Amino acid sequence: MSEYVIEMLGITKVFPGIIANDNITLQLKKGEIHALLGENGAGKSTLMSILFGLYKPEKGEIRKNGDAVSIKNPNAATYHGIGMVHQHFKLVDVFTVLENIILGSETTKYGFLSKNDARKKVLALSEKYGLSVDPDIKVENLTVGMQQRVEILKMLYRENDILIFDEPTAVLTPKEIEELLKTMKSFREEGKSILFITHKLDEIFAVADRVTVLRKGKCVGTVNTKDTDKNTLSQMMVGRPVELKVKKDKAKPRETILQVENINVPSRLHKGKLAVKNASFTVHSGEILCIAGIDGNGQSELVGGITGLDRITGGKVTALGQDITHLPIRNRNSDFLSHIPEDRHKHGLVLDFPLMYNFVLQRYFESDFQHLGFIKTDAIKSYSEGLIDAFDVRSAEGTGTITRSMSGGNQQKAVIAREFDRGKPLIIAVQPTRGLDVGAIEYIHSQLVRKRDEGHGVLLVSLELDEVMNLSDRILVIHEGEIVGEFSPENTSAREIGLYMAGTKGGADCE
Amino acid sequence: MNKRNFPSPLLKNDGWKSALPALISICAGLFTGCMIILAVAVSDSEISIKSGFEAVKLILFGTFAKGRDASGDLVFSLSESNAGNLLFRATPVIMTGLSVAFAFKSGLFNIGAAGQYLLGTSATLITALSLPVSIPRWLVWLLAFVAGMTAGALWGVIPGILKAYLNINEVLSCIMTNWIAANIVTWIFEDSPLRNAGQSGKIGYIKPTSMAGVSTAKLGLDRIFPDSQVNGGILVAILFAVAVYILLSKTVPGFEIRICGSNRDAARYAGISEKRLTVFSMAFSGALAAGGAALYYLSGETEFFWSTYQSLPKEGFNGIPVALLASNNPIAVIFTGCFMSSLSVAGQQIKNLTSYNEFITDIVIAVIVYLSAFSFFISRLIASKNRKEVR
Repeated sequence: MSEYVIEMLGITKVFPGIIANDNITLQLKKGEIHALLGENGAGKSTLMSILFGLYKPEKGEIRKNGDAVSIKNPNAATYHGIGMVHQHFKLVDVFTVLENIILGSETTKYGFLSKNDARKKVLALSEKYGLSVDPDIKVENLTVGMQQRVEILKMLYRENDILIFDEPTAVLTPKEIEELLKTMKSFREEGKSILFITHKLDEIFAVADRVTVLRKGKCVGTVNTKDTDKNTLSQMMVGRPVELKVKKDKAKPRETILQVENINVPSRLHKGKLAVKNASFTVHSGEILCIAGIDGNGQSELVGGITGLDRITGGKVTALGQDITHLPIRNRNSDFLSHIPEDRHKHGLVLDFPLMYNFVLQRYFESDFQHLGFIKTDAIKSYSEGLIDAFDVRSAEGTGTITRSMSGGNQQKAVIAREFDRGKPLIIAVQPTRGLDVGAIEYIHSQLVRKRDEGHGVLLVSLELDEVMNLSDRILVIHEGEIVGEFSPENTSAREIGLYMAGTKGGADCE
Repeated sequence: MNKRNFPSPLLKNDGWKSALPALISICAGLFTGCMIILAVAVSDSEISIKSGFEAVKLILFGTFAKGRDASGDLVFSLSESNAGNLLFRATPVIMTGLSVAFAFKSGLFNIGAAGQYLLGTSATLITALSLPVSIPRWLVWLLAFVAGMTAGALWGVIPGILKAYLNINEVLSCIMTNWIAANIVTWIFEDSPLRNAGQSGKIGYIKPTSMAGVSTAKLGLDRIFPDSQVNGGILVAILFAVAVYILLSKTVPGFEIRICGSNRDAARYAGISEKRLTVFSMAFSGALAAGGAALYYLSGETEFFWSTYQSLPKEGFNGIPVALLASNNPIAVIFTGCFMSSLSVAGQQIKNLTSYNEFITDIVIAVIVYLSAFSFFISRLIASKNRKEVR
């Protein structure tokens, strides 16, 4: 019997115009955590889709325990014991946890659904692995971390022993990440084999036994984690040395650009509740102010209040000396605001438009791009060609590429190109590096610092403590809609910030 | 599908890509329709097999049918009068098709074209028939046309406002406003002096506008298509199609409408007042549908059956398949509108020339329309296949 539980040998997958996987070999040992590392568009997802039966490779074969198998669809993958936690969960929001877990492999009696056996099994599993979750609660009422638990339980319920985790930590809080890594380790002790897709080097060193690195569709190599270090890995991934730490001088804050005074913003999710309570702060030109907090603590609404996407129900916002509390979004965009939105698909881009039109989303009505009400397509085209060059936005067909077909990293680059080029005094960047790889993160971080040095005020909202500690000149921690503390990165630690984020320290009485 | 069809010089193949599913579904629809005709011929002793094949011929080439010759065989040839009638009947359907397509482009489903069409009809007829004789007739024509479109716009605004400011689904409010319109129109004309009092034995109709001396100019079309009802209205409809195309693909408001239709959140983010745009889109869409009614009834010959409270005009609903078949491309709407009216001409011919009764004909036409609307799904299939490959 083979030493490897799953082998993907010489896999080649070609899409029109691009070789997504070029002769890639990936071998997963039984009972190991094997990390798959690579930039956006390096071919990780394609490779996993092939293993999960979503794509058929042009060349290469898949072996299980040494025997060649053919995986034509996800059902076949399940049959071979392969389970996957997708980056974007595949759960039915209005179903309960239990219903979601058994969906697709329901137990029936006389043609009727019988949930009792399933419930017992799920409860046993969640006890065994410490994945406690109420089986009768509806998924829509769960936090993201809990939803991920449901996905994991789904795999366990199907008795999969080859588990694929596709960027599982991207959506989790630091504490949840810790727990997830612990769970993964316990699976390894059970003898399960894990494929772990991630961008985060820390996590690889925390749990993985071996790493396979992909770059531009090719396999760069497989190494033992204990024989390597972060710099080597990131160089393998990007193909050049990467600065993991942002280089920046001390900030020289000047005049106030944005002043927020005691604002209240209603919650988007819960009617009648306030998501932001009595928040006050200022952003100066030449500084990066960071709002740190666990996802869902009012950051989205706070930014919404400043950008105009959310209504402010109390307090006052002043920008460049002008009261903008109730200013229309159009005027905010034109007068003072560049905004890299939290969700590039929802707000940042019109995905079904050609790329070039997305570059003028807030500017198409300016005289550069229209004449007597007619859109100047040629002007838009040449303008966007300039941005594509300057920001190295990669796409299949240049300005005419339908934005949806681009990789996430390049979509984000397009948004950043647009917002930086508009170059307004205040730059709001909400999780600007979410889901991006080391190379792109390095680029975006250095650009943000450059904008700061040029005299823009930068308001950064981030869920990642590393980013917060690395980039900011001042840190505000938000917890349940309140600003619970202000820190300077030199005089604090990630640990301390983490405690404030979790609400165990600070609070209204501390202000 | 409406999202994929993005008129841009950069996407040269897009026209073909969106035409293909339409052609596939038209063929599927015609094939199924013909099968039903033959099946009826086989199962109904009243209808001979020969008659069945004749009906199939008429479905496919009805526009060219000239009647029967002395030996009783169908005669087909290029028939100017049929072609003219086809264009005449296409006029209102092109307009309602434009109405639905425009609404789709802005992310709205205007299923209320029927109601807008009805109110447009009434406003047009009332204006054309009641303005004093002293006013020049061309001016009355124009005023009646504008009155019709205005009425349709106002009727479209209602679901628009409900959608924009109260977030009420426009499909629901459109269906309700359709029936409200149907009843209002009946009520308006119930005791109206504009009713045609039993002329030539017909009751329940409003006077044709020609009785007030108002009718659309023929613009020479009567010489190209002699013995037909065609008039300048078809040219007006084509002009509107071109105008809507330019508005959507070349202008700033059109750009905003497309952003709104494709991603409402991004529209807000970009600073577009998407609520105002929703109301505007519904108004414009309503005006287009009502414009179709105005063009149809201003021809001068057509008579309006005023007791509408039990039925809605089919032109309103036929706009939906016309728009879907055209992938919401305003220029393509001209052709799909003609296709739709060629079906109704064919239906007429089958009824007149064979032993099929009008109900069977209606069913066959309905099947064709129904299957044709599947272009929506076929193009989705193609799109998702492409998308997979691109990834």
